[in-house]
Amino acid sequence: MSRSFLLFSLFFIQGSFLNLYGQEKLEREIDLQEVRVDGNRYKHAMEGPLSVSYIHIDSLQKFQGGSLMQTLSRIPGVGSIGIGASQSKPQIRGLGFNRVITVENGIKHEGQQWGLDHGLEIDQYSIGSAEIIKGPSSFMYGSDAIGGVIRLSSVQEPEEDGVNGSLNLIAKSNNGTLGSSAQFVAKEGKFVFGGGITHLNYGDYRVPTDTVYVYNYAVGLKNNYVRNTAGRETDFQIRGGYITERFSSIIYLSNYDTKLGFFANAHGLEPRGVNTALYDKSNRDISYPSQKVNHFKIINRNYFETDDQKIWIDIAYQRNNRKEFNHYVAHGYMPAVFPDNMGIPEDLERLYDKSIYSIHVKDQFTKGSHQITVGGSAEIQHNHIGGWGFLIPEYDQRAAGLFAHDQYSIDQNTMLYAALRYDYSHNQSKAYRDWFESETEDGTRDKILRAEHTSKTFNSLVWGLGLAKQFGTIEAKLNIGKSFRNPATQEFASNGVNYHYYSYDIGDRNLSPEQSYQADLSIGWRKEAADIVITPFYNYFSNYIYLNPTSRFDQFHGAGNQIFKYSESKVLRYGGEINANFRFVKDWKLEVLGEFVKSKQLSGSKKGYTLPFSPAPSVLIGLDWYPKIHQFLNGTYFAVDCKWTAEQNNIVPPEEKSPSYTLFNFRAGTDFKVNNSVVQLRFQIQNLLDTKYMDHTSFYRLIALPEQGRNLILSARVPFGKK
Amino acid sequence: MNRISKSILMLFFLTSIMACKKDNESIDDEKPKIDLTAENAFPKQCSQIKRGESFKFQMHLSDNVALGSYSIDVHHNFDHHSHSTEVEECTLDPVKKPIQPFTMVKSMDIPGEPKEYIAQLQIDVPADVDPGNYHFMVQVTDLSGWSTQRGISIRITE
Repeated sequence: MSRSFLLFSLFFIQGSFLNLYGQEKLEREIDLQEVRVDGNRYKHAMEGPLSVSYIHIDSLQKFQGGSLMQTLSRIPGVGSIGIGASQSKPQIRGLGFNRVITVENGIKHEGQQWGLDHGLEIDQYSIGSAEIIKGPSSFMYGSDAIGGVIRLSSVQEPEEDGVNGSLNLIAKSNNGTLGSSAQFVAKEGKFVFGGGITHLNYGDYRVPTDTVYVYNYAVGLKNNYVRNTAGRETDFQIRGGYITERFSSIIYLSNYDTKLGFFANAHGLEPRGVNTALYDKSNRDISYPSQKVNHFKIINRNYFETDDQKIWIDIAYQRNNRKEFNHYVAHGYMPAVFPDNMGIPEDLERLYDKSIYSIHVKDQFTKGSHQITVGGSAEIQHNHIGGWGFLIPEYDQRAAGLFAHDQYSIDQNTMLYAALRYDYSHNQSKAYRDWFESETEDGTRDKILRAEHTSKTFNSLVWGLGLAKQFGTIEAKLNIGKSFRNPATQEFASNGVNYHYYSYDIGDRNLSPEQSYQADLSIGWRKEAADIVITPFYNYFSNYIYLNPTSRFDQFHGAGNQIFKYSESKVLRYGGEINANFRFVKDWKLEVLGEFVKSKQLSGSKKGYTLPFSPAPSVLIGLDWYPKIHQFLNGTYFAVDCKWTAEQNNIVPPEEKSPSYTLFNFRAGTDFKVNNSVVQLRFQIQNLLDTKYMDHTSFYRLIALPEQGRNLILSARVPFGKK
Repeated sequence: MNRISKSILMLFFLTSIMACKKDNESIDDEKPKIDLTAENAFPKQCSQIKRGESFKFQMHLSDNVALGSYSIDVHHNFDHHSHSTEVEECTLDPVKKPIQPFTMVKSMDIPGEPKEYIAQLQIDVPADVDPGNYHFMVQVTDLSGWSTQRGISIRITE
């Protein structure tokens, strides 16, 4: 490990222990930065000694960003890979896409995780709490949990009979978001039910620049609006079930639906001229290119308890339907005019339709000092494609896994943890042939076979070992383990031109499951006046799979585009986070949140380079003030965050270096008492100084489009019913 | 407290800078270059090419380490979709439907891993292709996989 990193962590430890001895009473506040250091927590948690960050719905409202992942990305080690102002995907310690899973109500959320240009299909206003597991969690969730887990839960049912819920009104200045959300849960005897509806409507977002240079091609932005990035989102959820002390069965049904535009002057990385008179007529209309995403999910969660056993059974069906619309543009050998006998709409560029059936079973029992959990999971996936563009073939996938965990308490303060999991997966992808003819090497014209019929089987055995120990006020957790990820279909089967990236992507049929070994340490110290958690990690991939830009072009199969080949390399990664809170002056809180990750490829043609989408190190200093202003105003706060992000000069083709930047965010809020109810007012100014900056992990970084400018966010939440 | 937080802030900055400054081994992080201003470079932005004749494509390519290969793609811009990366605007004909547009895709390896290379190709433009606005895309890679692209607007004349 590099000396500088050790220095970095040492400084954190040393620096954080200064001035801790205030006398303030600890406020039991659940905030976005809170990592529970509660000594007893791990004894009940399935994840054993892995560190978990917990976020409650109140914090989600307090810190809300344009998307769920933007809201959560304040947590050190958590980031987002975003496109525009409202869509982003999770990234944990520099790993994203298929390397992080999102679990909602016990079931893995399945969208098009591999794709760059859309986000997580989850309504952020329907969530009751979020937990983030930083670190490999394959032993719990199987493939893809190699980088970590975002675990979301619905709002809890009330304990007593009655109804409770909230009304939410949301407004944002930057892209003119207007939204509302109403959510409720109710209990009547042994029956519970609930529901909610959310609607968001937003216009084009604004950036602090009037010209963007897409590969030197100057694109003027009228009044700084990013052309055609408006969108709508309408979501609903319903639940109903039966609960007794030893049995419960609840059905959760949800539907997420969105339509939004892409920046019209750059489809992918390709500069595009547009009819500005037409596009700039309104900031709220959605023209080409655009996408429509629908995600439907039904989950049945069951719980049984006998004298010595606890059993959980989760069953789910979900369907993700994503369509990309655009004017037909002929590239390479595609016919200049769209043929009218295609049987697909001329504006349907791509369609992905995925349905998944899954089941997850778990049985927990105690034998002496051992708490043992055994279980299994299985899923069946069908993936269809459509449209005139091609990236990945159709495929079906079957997967099953079996696991056993043992949690052994040596004494009150020491716990050992061991886990073993076996996974089987079978993937069958269909052949795909171009619908148009290309020039071939022998001078004839032919429809190219883009994907061959492929059948792949993967087996993986992973394990985890952990130790948690409490030394007075210090809690230490150590984890080592192996995680895995099965190659995704595009990684072994793609053979298509991605015209929007000037790339011709070739998969490798011989790829084997990615293997990762990781050691995580978490040291937490908690006193009334301060708490500090430091979480370093060290990670080695024996075969990290990535899309490698080669030095060659392909004239025949790749229409003259650069060959990007899925390759494997050995990768070393290390880094860590710090999360410190100081309450040494009454009514004030100082937070220091830092994150750092460094990756290096140790073999292959990109030896010495980092991994794509490597987040730059950052430090956030937050200062909160909780004044008591008036008897009718409760929980009043004013806060400022200053986040400094270092430059990112460690890049790999085709990335660009990103300069460092400092952002200021302001927050204020209060709970305003009106008669018997309360109105929770939350106000934020994100990017207070309208700073022009490049987020290195943003999709639009490659075309040098700056991130969203100053954004005033106002939300009012009116809770009703009893808690 | 202000002083404390300030000093903490400063120290964090310092250590973080230390943390990311090191370990930067000599990896190639420079893209190759396409020099359109070179005297004999052709085509250039707004160049005119006569159909039924041939012309000599010539581009001056360079890289800090070693060049890899280059690729050319010519396609029509009758719909004004604009891939042009050049600042200068050329006159555009009204939008029209293509009948038999000129298309050409060609990729070539650059031999011997040179730092500089003058790419030259003889290109024939058939006499029966649609005249009008076209894009002439040139891409070049270096050995590390960095690439640079230039989109040049040209016109094929009758």
